[in-house]
Amino acid sequence: MFSRNHRSRVTVARGSALEMEFKRGRFRLSLFSDPPEDTELQRKLDHEIRMREGACKLLAACSQREQALEATKSLLVCNSRILSYMGELQRRKEAQVLRKTGRRPSDSGPPAERSPCRGRVCISDLRIPLMWKDTEYFKNKGDLHRWAVFLLLQLGEHIQDTEMILVDRTLTDISFQNNVLFTEAGPDFELRLELYGACLEEEGALAGAPKRLATKLSSSLGRSSGRRVRASLESASGSGSGPILLPTPAVGGPRYHLLAHTTLTLAAVQDGFRTHDLTLASHEENPAWLPLYGSVCCRLVAQPLCMTQPTASGTLRVQQAGELQDWARVHGVLKGTSLFCYRQPEDADTGEEPLFTIAINKETRVRAGELDQAAGRPLTLSISNRYGEDEVTHTLQTESRGALHSWMEALWQLFFDMSQWKQCCDEIMKIETPAPRKPPQVLAKQGSLYHEMAIEPLDDIAAVTDILAQREGTRLETPPPWLAMFTEQPALPNPCSPALVAPAPARTHPMPWGRPRTFSLDAVPPDHSPGASRSVAPLPQQRSPRSRGLFSKGPPRTWLQSPV
Amino acid sequence: MSYVPGQPVTAVVQRVEIHKLRQGENLILGFSIGGGIDQDPSQNPFSEDKTDKGIYVTRVSEGGPAEIAGLQIGDKIMQVNGWDMTMVTHDQARKRLTKRSEEV
Repeated sequence: MFSRNHRSRVTVARGSALEMEFKRGRFRLSLFSDPPEDTELQRKLDHEIRMREGACKLLAACSQREQALEATKSLLVCNSRILSYMGELQRRKEAQVLRKTGRRPSDSGPPAERSPCRGRVCISDLRIPLMWKDTEYFKNKGDLHRWAVFLLLQLGEHIQDTEMILVDRTLTDISFQNNVLFTEAGPDFELRLELYGACLEEEGALAGAPKRLATKLSSSLGRSSGRRVRASLESASGSGSGPILLPTPAVGGPRYHLLAHTTLTLAAVQDGFRTHDLTLASHEENPAWLPLYGSVCCRLVAQPLCMTQPTASGTLRVQQAGELQDWARVHGVLKGTSLFCYRQPEDADTGEEPLFTIAINKETRVRAGELDQAAGRPLTLSISNRYGEDEVTHTLQTESRGALHSWMEALWQLFFDMSQWKQCCDEIMKIETPAPRKPPQVLAKQGSLYHEMAIEPLDDIAAVTDILAQREGTRLETPPPWLAMFTEQPALPNPCSPALVAPAPARTHPMPWGRPRTFSLDAVPPDHSPGASRSVAPLPQQRSPRSRGLFSKGPPRTWLQSPV
Repeated sequence: MSYVPGQPVTAVVQRVEIHKLRQGENLILGFSIGGGIDQDPSQNPFSEDKTDKGIYVTRVSEGGPAEIAGLQIGDKIMQVNGWDMTMVTHDQARKRLTKRSEEV
């Protein structure tokens, strides 16, 4: 409960009146001016609100199902971002007021608390295995249900989403090709991962039928499809507010449900693939339920800033081995787990090799001053490392007392960061810069040339001509030109594959046979375009026209693989 | 090795005993197969004779029952528990390997 003069944290309940007040911009104006980072946040908040309005309009206007899915997804993401920014603004304002109204003596904590450096956290190669019943997967019984899924990733107040992927029962895992990068993460970060899914109903003739007719029809259909139809009718007429959606004008269209979630922290960071458990959040009655295996596999890496950027630099004098009075002048740069000593300050920038490097890790000991030191040289720093049996000590001399102090400070900060970021400071983990997000691909039902060639933006023209030549080459094998009277449209679907080749959203390009479709849980997923169809099918256009019309089956064109 | 119907086949055949592993409600062997008389044999990277429509092992999952038993990638499967695997469709082959009543 709230008491009058006592400041307490308030969590804004979603859909509550307080939240509506926020939306209308009526929160109490602070008496003090906003610090610059608040205006930045405010700007982001306004941007998200505008995006949200745009998404609502788009959703109301669009006609195609895929567009509606994308628009609903953007809406959900915008809503989540708005809520998190508002929460963050509220928190900052509270903290600000607390600071400025002064503290009681018992409240004041330690004066200068060391805070660990920020870092970049990147999650990539996300893969969620699915667990189909074998009757569904192998025999392809029943209608082909399809789902649209995507992931929402939240770290602090930053929310990012992955692309939306269409899933049906020919897929064994949901694989996201995105690299999601969060900057400004502390070592105590919590990366929350949420999987949202929406069921794609096949819009049949029932979509526009009047309600009584529809119920009659649905009750006379088979049990499971009738249940589905009824559920979709009910959901379409009800108000569309899930747990995340703020009260918006009732928009028809697909509804996303939270299917699973999990939270990852520093302990999960590793330079490799790891499997984590998912907490499943929906059950079978939920229309968007997907048979999830219950785990998610990903690569979570973190790069603390202390490892990638120099934390201190300056001129030092280093005592040469053996010669007590001989001090060489070097330019030292403290970066990551080493102190690099260059001959000149410019060498550090040009990438020259340093004269020597002193390792600084958890075992290193640093002392200011030195024991048997002649008077007049008090500004020394000694760094000791233990290599096996030996202990190697480097003695460095700084220019002034202030410089000594700042070097010591930098070293203490580095030790603190290393203790906080733990395994991330052993070695720099590689983060690949995420490729620019491709615009959502237009889903075409027929197999045209362009959809069957997955041309990466990095491919050069040679690769493209190779693919074309390969295609042309096989066609040249066909018999004499009078058969070219027949059009090249393939009349029959591939009859040889035991499973129906469902119209895949993006066909894979003619790869060699390889690429096993099922993955063991810890294997590295190969890079493949989303929506891999079950058969590694070369194009139907390659089939010689001779076979059409004369036989009912052509020569087999697939080489299926199945796990047993 | 080319298989001419009607002629005796000369081959080195090895018997492998794989104990199925129970994973949930499934019994898995831990490998993947490719091929079949209804498949296109020219895409088979393991067969010497590209018209061979037999069943080949395309993948062995690490640490799985197949690997433990000594099955290797690229092996051709001739028989399973007495059932022939040289002239079967892909689906028939898969069914013969995934019978629930058999554990070995």
